[in-house]
Parts: sequence; C-alpha cells; structure tokens
Amino acid sequence: MKLVQQVKTQINMWAILSFVFIVIILLPNILIAIHFFGEPNENWFHIKEYLLFDIFYNTSILLVSTGVATIIIGTSLAWMITVYKFPLRNFFRWGMILPLAIPPFIGAYTYQGMVNYTGFIQSTLRNSFDLQVNQKYFSMMSMEGTIFIFTMFLFPYVYVITKSFIENQSSSIIENARLLGANSFETFVRVVLPISKTAIVGSATIVMLEVINDYGVVKYYGIQTFITSIFQTWFAMGDRESAFKLAGTLMVVVIFILVIERVIRGRKQFSYSTTKIRPIQPKQLKGVKAWIAFSYCFTIFSLAFLIPFVQLIFWMLMTYERILTAEFYTLVKNSFFAASVAALIIVIVGLIIANYSRIHQGLLPKFFARVTVLGYSVPGAVIAIGVITIFLMIDRNLGSLFKLFSIDTTFVLRTSIVMLISAYVIRFLAVGYNSIEAGFEKVGTTFTEASRTLGLSTFRTFLKVDIPMVKGAIIGGFILVFVDILKELPLTMLLQPFNFQTLATRAFRYANDEMISEAASASLLIILISGICIFIFHKVLDRGEAN
Amino acid sequence: MKHLKVLIFSLFLSVLVLGLVGCNQASEEKPVEQEKTEETAEQATTEVEEAGVVNLYTTRHYDTDEELYKKFTEQSGIEVNVISGKDELVQRLKDEGEATEADIFITADAGNLARLKADGLTQAIESDVLTTNIPEKLRDDENHWFGLTKRARVIVYSKDRVDPSELSTYEALTEDAWKERVLIRSSENIYNQSLLASFIELNGEEASKDWAAGIVANMARTPEGGDTDQVKAVVAGEGDVAISNTYYVGRLLNSTDSEEVKVGEQVGVFFPNQDTTGTHINISGATVVKHAKNVDNAVKFIEFLTSVEAQELFAEGNNEYPVNPEAAISETLTSWGEFKEQDINLTILGDNNTRAIQLFNEVGWK
Amino acid sequence: MFVQIEDLVYQYRNASEPAIKNFSLQLNEGEIIAILGESGSGKSTILRLLAGLETPKSGMIIINGQKMVDDHTFIPPEKRGIGMVFQDYALFPHMTVENNIKFGLRHMTSKQKQKRIEEMLELVNLLDYKKRYPYELSGGQQQRVALARALAPAPSLLLFDEPFSNLDASLQMKIRDELKQILKQTKSTSIFVTHDQVDAAALADRTVLIEKGVVKNISKVEPPKSYSLI
Repeated sequence: MKLVQQVKTQINMWAILSFVFIVIILLPNILIAIHFFGEPNENWFHIKEYLLFDIFYNTSILLVSTGVATIIIGTSLAWMITVYKFPLRNFFRWGMILPLAIPPFIGAYTYQGMVNYTGFIQSTLRNSFDLQVNQKYFSMMSMEGTIFIFTMFLFPYVYVITKSFIENQSSSIIENARLLGANSFETFVRVVLPISKTAIVGSATIVMLEVINDYGVVKYYGIQTFITSIFQTWFAMGDRESAFKLAGTLMVVVIFILVIERVIRGRKQFSYSTTKIRPIQPKQLKGVKAWIAFSYCFTIFSLAFLIPFVQLIFWMLMTYERILTAEFYTLVKNSFFAASVAALIIVIVGLIIANYSRIHQGLLPKFFARVTVLGYSVPGAVIAIGVITIFLMIDRNLGSLFKLFSIDTTFVLRTSIVMLISAYVIRFLAVGYNSIEAGFEKVGTTFTEASRTLGLSTFRTFLKVDIPMVKGAIIGGFILVFVDILKELPLTMLLQPFNFQTLATRAFRYANDEMISEAASASLLIILISGICIFIFHKVLDRGEAN
Repeated sequence: MKHLKVLIFSLFLSVLVLGLVGCNQASEEKPVEQEKTEETAEQATTEVEEAGVVNLYTTRHYDTDEELYKKFTEQSGIEVNVISGKDELVQRLKDEGEATEADIFITADAGNLARLKADGLTQAIESDVLTTNIPEKLRDDENHWFGLTKRARVIVYSKDRVDPSELSTYEALTEDAWKERVLIRSSENIYNQSLLASFIELNGEEASKDWAAGIVANMARTPEGGDTDQVKAVVAGEGDVAISNTYYVGRLLNSTDSEEVKVGEQVGVFFPNQDTTGTHINISGATVVKHAKNVDNAVKFIEFLTSVEAQELFAEGNNEYPVNPEAAISETLTSWGEFKEQDINLTILGDNNTRAIQLFNEVGWK
Repeated sequence: MFVQIEDLVYQYRNASEPAIKNFSLQLNEGEIIAILGESGSGKSTILRLLAGLETPKSGMIIINGQKMVDDHTFIPPEKRGIGMVFQDYALFPHMTVENNIKFGLRHMTSKQKQKRIEEMLELVNLLDYKKRYPYELSGGQQQRVALARALAPAPSLLLFDEPFSNLDASLQMKIRDELKQILKQTKSTSIFVTHDQVDAAALADRTVLIEKGVVKNISKVEPPKSYSLI
C-alpha cells in the first residue's frame, strides 16, 4: 500500500486521541520505572534489610489465602445458585453481589468494633450471661482477621464472573456429566471448575489486585504490606526515592501475578457463547438439602453483608445527631461530583479507545487496549506518586508560562480537583473500558459497516449507531466505575484539593481516630448508594442477557 | 474534515468538563483568587485584602474544629479553606515549596512541628497576643510554631486490680512486678516515639533503651490497635495498666455508647513521675508556612484559636487541655486534677525522633 | 463501462499470500452480476473492497467515472454512494423500520424523506410495518427492509452478501424472484455473492466463478423463458 493511503486510513482522529490518552495513562508508570532503576539511597538498604522480607511474606500470605478462600466461596455459591432452586435463591442471585457495596476497610473496622470488649458480642455475653471471654479469641487485628475481611468483601468478584460464565454454558455439558455417572459434587469439581477456569482465574486476579492495592484494612489492622510501607517511607520518613523503589518492586509483583494468570488461563481468553443453546434449568432442591444450601448462602450473606450492615445502623442511630450536619451534605455532594465526573470521562475515553481498537486491526490498537488495563493493576498509591510528580512538573512549567505573559496568578492545577480526577481516570479506566469493550464485542462491526455504506462518517456512525447499541455496556461501565470511586481511599487521601473530603475519607478518618460509631453514617451512605448502583447494574446485566 | 470535527468535539468536551470542574472549584472555595484575569486583577486583589482567605493544612479533624472555622469566618470575614489529612501533608508541603497554597499547618505532636521548622518550611511570627495566650514552654523558642492544645501520656489502670499507690513512674513499669501486665500500642505510633524521645532527653540513651526493653519484657500482649484498644484491654483483663493519651479516656467517658462509658468508669488515670521528671505532655499546634501568601490572615486565625473562647471549644472537642491558662478545663479533665509536667522544650521531641525509632527497633518493640 | 475493477489485489495482515489476486471485472449500467464461489474463496472480500470497508494492496476501482481506489486515492465508504445488503441484514435494532430506511437519506427535506420512505416500503411491500422494530419482523421481512434501506439513497451500485443464506428454502425462491423484479424495476446495477449456482443462474445476467481469489470463469446467463416473456 502506498504511504499516502496508509496515512489516510491509519492516522485518524481516533488514533490520535487514543494515543494521547494512552500516553497519559503510561506516564506515571514510566516515571516509576525510571526511579526504580535509579541510585538507591541509604534508607533503601535499611528497608531491604529489615522490611522487605516481612512485606513480601505478609503480601504473599494475604494474596494466596484470600485468593483460595474467595475462589472456594465464590465458585461454590455460583454453582449452587445457578443449578439449584432453594429458599431465597432468587434473592441470593443478586444479594451475593451486595458485599461489594461495603468497602473492605469499613468492613474491617465494623468487625473489630463488634468483637472488641465494648462491642455487641462481648457486651451481650457479659451483661446477659455474665461471661468473660479470653480476649485472644476476640480480635480481628491479625493476619487471619485480615484474610477473613478480604474474603468476605471481595468474594463477589469471583461469584459474579463465574456465575455469568456458568449461566452462559449449555446445560448439555452438565447433563452429559450426569449421564456419565458423576454426582453433583463430581460434576462441579471435574466438569464445571475446569470449564470455568478462565473465569475463575480472571476474577481471582481482580481480587488479588484489590488486596494488593488495599490501604484501609491493613493500615487499621496493623499488617505491614507494600502499600503501608510506601506510605510510611514516603510520608513518615519523607523518602520519595525509596517509595518509588518500593512501588517499582510492587509493580514487579503485580506483573508476576498477571503473568501467572496468563499461564494458568492458557491461550484461551474469556469466551462467551453468544448463542445460548439451552440455558441451564435450575433443579429444585427438597428437604434437608434445600436447607443446607439455604443455610450456607445465608451464613455467607450474613457475614459479608447483613451483620456489618445492621451493626452500622445501630452505630448510626447512636451518633447521627452529631454527624448529620450541613458539612455532611457537602461530603455527599463531593463524593457524587468526583465519582460522576470521573466516571463520565472514563466512559468517553473508554468509548474512544474501544472504538478505535475495534475498527482498526493491528498491533497498535491491540497495544492500546492492553495498556488501559494497566491502570487497574497499578495500586492507587503508586498512581498518586506518579500523578503528583507530573502535576508538579506541569505546574512549574505553567508558572513560567504565566510569568512569560506576566499574568499574576496563584492558580495551581495541583490543588484543584483536576489532579484527583485525572488519577481516578488513570486508575479506573480499565473497569469502564472492559465493560464497553465487551459490549462492542457482542455487537460486532456489521452495524458500523452498514451505517458507513449508508453514507455516515465514522464519527456520525459512532454517535448514531455505535453508542446507542452499546448503551447497556456504557451504563454498566459507568456504574461500576462510579461505585469504585465512591469507595476509593488512597488516591482521594493523597490528592484531595482544598475543602474536599469524600464519604470514604471521612469514614476512614473517624475510624482511624478510634471513633468507630461516628464513622457509621458516612459508611452507611456509601453502602446504600453502592448497593442501589449494584442493583441497577444487575438489572441492566440481566436485561442485556435476555436480549 | 470529519477528523477535524472529532478533534473539535473532543476538545470542546474536555474544556467543558475541565471548565465545569474549575468553576465548581472556584465558586466553592476561592471565588476571588482563581477567577482573576488580567483586567480584573487589581480589583480582585483589593477584594482579597478586604475579605481574604486563609488556607489550612491540618492533621486534626474533629467536628468541633469545623465549628470554630465557621465562627472565625463569621467574626473576621476571612474564609477558611481546609485540606485535612495525615503525614502525607508534610510531604505535600515540602513538594510544593514556594508554590504552596498553604498558609497554616496544624498538626498533632510537637515533633512534627519541630521537623517542619528544621526543614525550613516555617516562619517566625511576632504576635503579642500569641505570646500572652500561650505559655513559653508550649511554643517554639523562636516563635515558629505555637501549641494549641495539650495532652498528657499517662498510665491508665484497672480500678479493680490496681491500687494507685502501686504506681509511681513510667520507669517503674519495667519492674518484675508488672510482668505481663503492661499494655501499650505499637512503636510505629508517634505518641510512643515522642514519649521515648523525651526520655532520651531526660535520662539519656542508655536508660531509654533499657526502659523500652523493660516494657517489651512486661507487655501483656504484642502491641495491637490504638490507645482506646489498650484501655479496653485493661478492663477486659488482658493487662492491668496501659499507657495512653488522656483524651482517649475522656472520649470513652463521654461516649454515646454506654458500654464505652462503663469502660471509662472502670479505669483510673494516673499521672506518673510526679516526684521526678514529670508526666510526658505533648501538644497539637500550628505554624505559619514559610511561603504563606496570606500571612496576616494566618496570624489572625492562630490568634483566634488561642483566644479563651475558642480554646474552650477547641480543647473540649477532643477532651484535651487548652494551652491558654485563662481557658476553663472541661469537667472530665478537672476531675483528674492537676499534675506536674515534664520540663523540656518540646522541640527536642523532633530532634530525638529518629533515634527513638531506632531504639524501638533495636529492642524489638513491634 | 459503468463499473470498472482492475487488477485488484488484497492481502490480509499476517497472511503470506493475497486473498484476492488481480481481480478485474466490468459492469454495464443496470447489470446484475453474481460472484460464485466456495466459502473462503474471497468472494465476500471483493464486496468489502468495493464498499470501501477494506483497503486493497493495489488495483483500481472506478464507478460511474469516479475513481474510488487507486494508488493515490481512497474514498471512504460513506462517500462512495454504494449500497450494501449484509448477510445478517445488520438492521439497527434500536430503530424502527421507518428510521432504518431513513438512516441513509440526506440532503432532502423531511417531506421528501417521508415520500422516499413510502416509495421504498411500497416497493418491498411493507407499508404496514413502518413502526415495527426489526425483532418484530420475520427473516424475509427483515431482508426486504435491508434492501429498502440500501436502495433508499439511490446508490450507484448495490452489493448483496449471501442474500438468501438466512432464509428457508421455500421463502428463498419467492424472495429471489421479488428481488430480481425490484432490481430490474429500479434499474440497479448490482453484484451479489453466493455459493449457490441456482441462485446465481436465477438472478444474474452474468456469473463470475472465483476460486482462491482468482477468477476462473465468467459466463453469461441465458435469460430463463419465464422471465423473457414479461
């Protein structure tokens, strides 16, 4: 092909826009890479000698245990709820996603507040039964407690993804297994698990990335991990170089996880069978079996949602008079504002990149599509380091630019909300992008082509055909991002502009200042809003599958 | 042509979004400063001078603080903008250097304030109001920072199992009689670091290291949770004494949760070292940032916070002692009585911080 | 010559050999051509190249005197004025029949548009279905809507990709005859791609046999007697 043509067909606005966004996403990572290979300082040797082993040890235990536990709970629930009918099964189908509405750090302090000496459990035992218990068994602030918290509030990722995968399988596979003499359990272990491997591994990876990125839980429970060490090195010791090095090491761990995921998944990607041949018809369970299934689901649901939720309501009732002031309204407004603006930008950017990599085949678009996922793999604290550094550079240059035009201004991007929103976009782009990409995949390219042969340019086609057709995926992506940002902690804490607190940071502050019941109102509000969003998301998803 | 349209559309969109964000920011927080353009610059400056703002970085965040900010704005017309956070704010201030928008930095622990001064991030303030309101000991010797509230790190004991007559000093807790009876939080915490830092000043490094090792040997459990958790553990019977800041006990006593009040009532507060070096105290305090843009407003604000009226609210919000001797002490605090304080310049706490951390690590205090 | 295709070469990315090799073809105005071939022979690719959905490695396409593609030119699909009926029809599911047809109409007043829609619906005999959504239609009806949509902007060339593959055998014959009538009535120059010789013989004036991207044979179809009687 001649160069002119190549340029004409390959370099268009979509490509340029996508390129710009990709560069923005990559910048913090490049920055970290540069510092990672820089000269180490004395502090780094100290960290390497005394801290690094503990960090690695704690992180590995957390990752492996939480990974295994969420897989066991998530897949067993997904299987049970897809193939059997039992009391409240239809509620559990979406109720099991609800724990995602509770940010793990809120779960963490709620549980600690419940089991400690003045908590509901011990005070009931003490006051009603005159029982004094050994405190050793009534603390969540341990490795085991941390694993419990992560498992309870993250297993829905495994559950949701595995469930929709199993639901999309033809029932003939399961029936065949039965005909070949396997009982339910055998079918589950020998047929369903291997088939759903990609879904399970993919979702467990999401769980692990969440664990790695957590700041709130491990900080509160006093478990030393990469993130807490980055915070400590950077802020308590004021050593940014070493923080960069820790971040770089963490990125190596993240890449390691992603590589393992690839290897386990094999060459197969998630493949949804687009035409459902015959969906699985759930079997009615009777008698003891029905009650066992119900009890199992109910226990998990109680631990992961009901109990902390009720506890928070009690605390809220105790404190709301002092907490629900005009300031509180501002918090709600801030949370909504930041989350919706960032989610909107993400959806727009996601649409542009997804559309570009869909219309144009080739290495570059494929590369773009991969890079968007990077942000989600990079922990918030790491993105914050990168973003702050970049904005410092921008501000410095802006400053001299302003001076050049002798404009006397004190405006700095850093203290505006622009910095925080950019960081959100970088971090959560993958969440929105994946949803939109999946939507585009389902729709295919024929409609776009049809529109173009009818005389509409790519841009008008985008507006009139592409967007309306992936509307469900866009709404879904928006909601997921919105909820994620609502719960977000480290980025918001590090990059907040003046007078800007969110429900999440406020809840964390109270909890961290040992005022747990005061944190309840903000926490509950996060849970309620997220819960409603998750419900809507579930409905959108169900409708999408029905069509 | 079409591509151009895409570009224009996207640019338009991003400008719109950024614009919205910017406006929201501007209108909410600094209506005057940010909307400055060349034509209106002059006019705007006068407006700033008339009304003005003061920008605050704070690591304190109690509900009463916000009430006080509002009160200040009502009285002076000066708007208070706040970023509240933790340690990361110090780094932020450093990073921003000359370009910082912060005028005042408020933080708990004199050590933090001393370090800010050592890093050249603070400036000296001449204010008769401040020097009258705040005792000399509770502010920087060159007036770079000023204490706002005071807290003591005390021994909290179980009223059932410990007779206060058994208690005397921090040092005594390392004796064999207290084996597996002492509760204290992790050494990662600044309150413990400052406590040890004060010992280094008063008793020397050797004795301080011995003290830390002695406490580790007498711990009832590996450190876990915050000060409140230690107090609760005393009542739960895990240990008999805990080292805690005063306001945590105050908070329990004034809690809305009756169970917590019960815990507060079952413990006693003992001010150690009354016959020797005095009880360890610390402050939360404020400093005017070196590159502050609104120095006058900043000073006005700190002066306001040390006024009798503000002091009572400010200290009571967190069950702390006011620094202004004129201000009344809350009921809870009065009930504990008066006490002898450590007689050291609080600047020392910052100087000795690193050494304290190292000592903790050396003796294996988690 | 109304349509002139010369030495068209197309190669997929990462493929060692071109999928289309030196494809040349001329069409007269109003002529119907069938491209016949096995699946994988490259026949659909030729349609996509004509429509501008793919870019050829080399070669030239001229339609009605306008150069669509050569070494220096590439007219994007939306500017070619070529209509296409897709194998699965690709009717926009979020639009009614009426809006689907209206989609390609521009530079017209809304009155003119309305008139054109009516004409088209009458042509394909679907006047009563104006307000329906595609999923409320049968396969045959969907195909007629797709045809009406492609015809509405009065394209200079009309392309059909396996037009009957999604229809029942009984329906297939009926629709085929209808289609031929409509095409002759509107004097549309058209090319359709099929793997079915009967379809090709029944519909086309000439058939082009293609194998592995190379033209094997071009033959004229003798008009069947039933048609010549009209």
